[in-house]
This record gives sequence, structure tokens and C-alpha cells, in this order.
Amino acid sequence: MTSTPPHPTHTRPAERHDPLPDGADHGGEEAVLLLRLAGPLQSWGDRSVFNRRETRPEPTKSGVLGLLAAAEGRAREDRLDDLTQLRLGIRVDQPGTLLRDYHTVSDYRGRPLLQAGVSAKGRQKPTSPAKNTHITIRYYLQDAVFVAALAGPAPLLRTLDTAVRHPAYPLALGRRSCPPTQPVSLGLRDTSDLRQALEAEPWQAARHVRNEQGRRNSYPTHVDLSATIEDPDGDDVRHDVPQSFHPRSRSYTSRRVRHLWIPTPTGFTTPTNNDQPRQPSAGHDPFALLGW
Amino acid sequence: MEPRLYIDVHILQTVPPANLNRDDHGNPKEAYFGGVRRSRVSSQAWKRATRKRFAEHLPEQDLATRTKKIAAKLTERLQQRCGLDEDQASRIAAALLAPLGISAGKKAGDTAYLFFYGRRQLEDVVDLIADRATELAALPDTDLEAQIKDLPVQEKFSTGHPLDVALFGRMVADIPSLNVDAATQVAHALSTHATELEFDYYTAVDDENTREETGAGMIGNIGFNSATLYRYATVGLHQLMDNLSDAAAAVDAADLFVESFARSIPTGYENSFAHRTLPSFVAVVLRADQPVNLVSAFETPITTTTAGIATASAQRLAREHTAAIRMWGDTPLYTAQCHSFDADRDDTATAAVLKEAFGEPLTFTDLRNGLRAQLTTALQQERA
Repeated sequence: MTSTPPHPTHTRPAERHDPLPDGADHGGEEAVLLLRLAGPLQSWGDRSVFNRRETRPEPTKSGVLGLLAAAEGRAREDRLDDLTQLRLGIRVDQPGTLLRDYHTVSDYRGRPLLQAGVSAKGRQKPTSPAKNTHITIRYYLQDAVFVAALAGPAPLLRTLDTAVRHPAYPLALGRRSCPPTQPVSLGLRDTSDLRQALEAEPWQAARHVRNEQGRRNSYPTHVDLSATIEDPDGDDVRHDVPQSFHPRSRSYTSRRVRHLWIPTPTGFTTPTNNDQPRQPSAGHDPFALLGW
Repeated sequence: MEPRLYIDVHILQTVPPANLNRDDHGNPKEAYFGGVRRSRVSSQAWKRATRKRFAEHLPEQDLATRTKKIAAKLTERLQQRCGLDEDQASRIAAALLAPLGISAGKKAGDTAYLFFYGRRQLEDVVDLIADRATELAALPDTDLEAQIKDLPVQEKFSTGHPLDVALFGRMVADIPSLNVDAATQVAHALSTHATELEFDYYTAVDDENTREETGAGMIGNIGFNSATLYRYATVGLHQLMDNLSDAAAAVDAADLFVESFARSIPTGYENSFAHRTLPSFVAVVLRADQPVNLVSAFETPITTTTAGIATASAQRLAREHTAAIRMWGDTPLYTAQCHSFDADRDDTATAAVLKEAFGEPLTFTDLRNGLRAQLTTALQQERA
């Protein structure tokens, strides 16, 4: 892994909530592509190697760009710099919970496992002494839903949108065994502001979560969802920007992000009198953030 | 854009009390989905069962080797990459393959026995001579042979892609060129309904206990649950073609995957529970746009109905498929199903709903034959 000082690679104007001064971003046509990342299981590792495969509580930039690169049919050796310049925002629509998976590896023919290295002839040798079962621990997020927003040049995002709808490789939510449910692409938005795009997008949580939240908080028109947005002035650093997925030279660099709450339309209309919520409206409900 | 073809496989399978795939506490694996606890069988567990069935039902040489067309394919690549004419390319191809000791077959361009290779390996071999192909083509036979003799051609081919590697992939950390991207994607199987973990308390009697002591020789617990599982996998036919370089081999591999995936089951605690069942529903959906996983059909868990959980699951799945086509995807190129729901029993609705979504029910053999025919046609059209 290379260690680079945390600085964002893009040259776009700072991503801010406030609209940019008129004319500031009209040079290259910019847009935001929205992706819905949902499926029973997801796993977004950022520093997992060897036997312990962890997941971040939300999608990583390398995971999302990996999904896009797979959709386009890029080989692992191919360049990524056009993708890394995209700015990423993640909204947590349904946080899900952590699943720990005990995973054993063995050869289905009953032979000893092979070594990771190879001989001069390019063949893998069996382990010595013979080892038949290898144990790894894998973590997943279960029952989670995210909205990822990617801001950048509109022509590139249009290509990616098409690719996600006609992927060259099957798409996966961080790990091959985690196929997404449809739709993945929510399409392009005519803005370059990540926050604006996320604010306008209706809440993608599952029905059971929305119903529960509705009952609990008397069917609010908006909920505040946790989000992380790429921002050169952000106060946190994520080391998850891939420079290459090449198996020989996989390396990552950092980006700055900031955390915020995004008021998101729930789709509930204001409650009617004959639909009384069981509980009185609670102004402060920290557990709602956890999806409880 | 390169044409894409995905074969989605949707399966519903009811498993009686069992513990197919256990965690480090010995209990069946689980996951939360739609807010409730579900039975889960990991994708790895079912892939292993699939591969074992695959290996048991295929002759050894078919696992290792597949095609006779290597000389012709290599000639074609040399023509395209190096701008040689056919004669030149075929002469170089022959010289490259000569050190492998593959004797010529009866038909021109064939090798005498099956040899397994993938597109990447062909490209690697072409790479060896690409920058001096024209120069080599001009050499007389003996000089050409001498020039090629020491190239590591055999090493490039020495790790062919057996069918199962083409389907399930391979990763060799130290030599990335040996890596093969899997053509299949298998999801974790999840129950369509909420499950509770249950425990079977058992005692074992010591038969040789002569002192008539009361009490057991051994006691313990086995965790188990029973479930109607939704199983989903997709096969990228285009990627299989890439891994195998041969249309007939790709069709065979896809068909064998569908067969083995549908009919296999993990063997965990097999002797304690005798859980081996067959699916009650199998559908294959051929799509040119994207794979479509229908697990959302069960995000709201199925609750007990008079007709049973399996029939309710089948109806939900059929409706989800129809809704997904209407809302998001293009119409599939081909859809076929087989199921065991009987229209004459109390669940008359199920067979009708399934027929509407997936077409006339077939036998599993007919489903496979139909799929093979469709895949063959699709690959022929692509070439034309």
C-alpha cells in the first residue's frame, strides 16, 4: 500500500451545500449519477487482507468504483483515473446490521490445499505439511440500503449509467456473493451538487423500516439520514480511493469527507386523524437512526 | 458493445429440519433480511456442492480438456493480432504448438486429443512473438523452429482452464496471469420466510453398559431449522466464452452448471437429518441486458398460509418477475420453468401464476434441452 498525504485528486470546485456562484461550474457539463445499493448482504472492506475480511458500515469508494468498472467490463489491469476523479456521496437509507460469517475453505476433491505461491514451472504446490481446511472470518452488512451519488462529467456518468443497466460482469455489493437487487441505477440528475441530488431522492428503505418509522414518528414528510460526502475541506479522511485494481500493484490513496444529516422525503403524506399513530410524536428518537 | 448474455437461475427448494451449513457454534447459518431472521446457506457451501456433483458426473478428461480447435484458434489470433495471412499464421501456429507434442488430428487444424485453453492463454502465446511475427513468417521451417524452440509456450498453456475453473474462477496470488474470473455469480440462499433456530436434544445410550446404570452415555444438542429457500445464480455466457474460447464448450459448461446447481445440496449433517430434497421450482431466464436477482419478492417474509409456504413463495416470485420486467428490465430473450405444483390440488392458482410469468411448465430435461438450443442459437447469431 502506498501512503500518500490525504489530499483529494479532483480539481472540481469544492463540493458545498450552497449553490455555486453562477457560471462557476458551467464550463464542463456536470451531473450526478445515483445508485441504489441494496441486497440481503453487502460487504465493503477497506483494509481486509488474508483471513479476516471486514466490512465498513457503508460502501467504500473502491467498492463503488469497482462496481462501475465491472459494469464497464474493465480488466483489473485497466486504468481507473477517470473514475477516481468522480466525487462520491453515500446516504444511509437503512443501516442494516453486522453479520459475522464463519467460512471454511477446502478442496472439494478432498485433496490438500495448495500454497499461494507457485513453483518455477508456474504450478501451485500442495501445502506441506498437508493442510485440508482453512478458516476465514468474513463480515457482511445484512438488510442494509444505501444511495450512492457520483458527481463528475456528464458524458462519463451517462456511459456509466448505461453500463450499470447492461453490465459486462455481474454486479456485486462489495463481494461476488452479494448480488444487488434491482434497480441499481436511479439515473442521472442535472446538478453537480452531491447534497442537492441526495436531498431530492426519496427514501429507499424497505417497507418494514418505513412503516416502523412512520408509526413511531407520526408519518413525517422527511427523515434525517446520515450521509458522508467527499469534500476537500472535510474533517475526516478515508483511505479508500483505488489507484489501480491490478493484482500486482493494488494501491489506495486518501480523500477527505464530511458527515452530515440529509433531510430526505419519506413519501408519507401528513397523517390523517383517523390514522392515529400508536405512540405520540417523538421529537428526539436516537434509535430511529439505527433503524429500530 | 460486446454482446452480453446472462443466464439467471431461480430456484425454490424446501428443506425439512436440517443443518446444511453451520457456523462455528454448530448452528445453521442465518441472516436478517426484511427485518426478520432467515435461514441462510452460504454461496460457497452451495458452490462446493455444485462442483462436487459436477466432478462426479463428468468424465475426468472433460474436466481437464475440451477442444480440438486450438491450432485453428491460434491461427485466427495470429492473423488478427499480427496482420499475417492465413498460411503464414497457420505455419507459425504449428511451430508454436509443435513443442507441446500434440500430434495432428484427422481433420486439418485439429489436434489428436482434446486440449484445454482460454482466450487469455492464447493471447499470452501470441504475445511471445507478436513483435516479430512478420520476420518469423519469412523464415524457412528449420529456422522458424529454432527461433521458437526456447519460448515458454508450454508454460503458457500448462495451466489450462478446466470447465469448473472457467465457471467458478481461480485466484493465484503470485501469478496474476493464472487468475480466471468466474463466469458464475451465486447468491447466498435465504429462506423466503422467518425462521427460528431450534435445538434437537439427544442422548446416546451405552449399549455395553452391563451394570444397568441409569443415564445416558452422552448428551448434546444439534441446532436445526427447516426452510423454503430462494436460490439465485447467474452465468455470464460471454465470460464463459472468454474463459473457454469455444462455443460448444461454453454451452456445455452453462448447461452443466444449471444441472448441477439445481440438483445438488450441501451435505452438512446429512446422516442425522436425511434432508436431501429436490427443488419444487426451477426457472432459467436468458437476458441480454443484466442479471436480475428476484430476492426482493421475499423482503416481506411469507407467513404461513393454508396452501403452504412453497406455493406462496412461487406465486410471489412469479409476480416479482413480471413486475421487474414491466418496471426495470427489457423483456428476457427466453424464459423456461419446471415445477412440481399440481394444478389439481388445492393450489390451483400457483400453476396458473407461474405459467403466466415463466411460460408452460417443462420437465427438467426439456428445460435443459431448450436452454442449450437457445444458447447455441445465440452464439451462432453473435458470430454471424
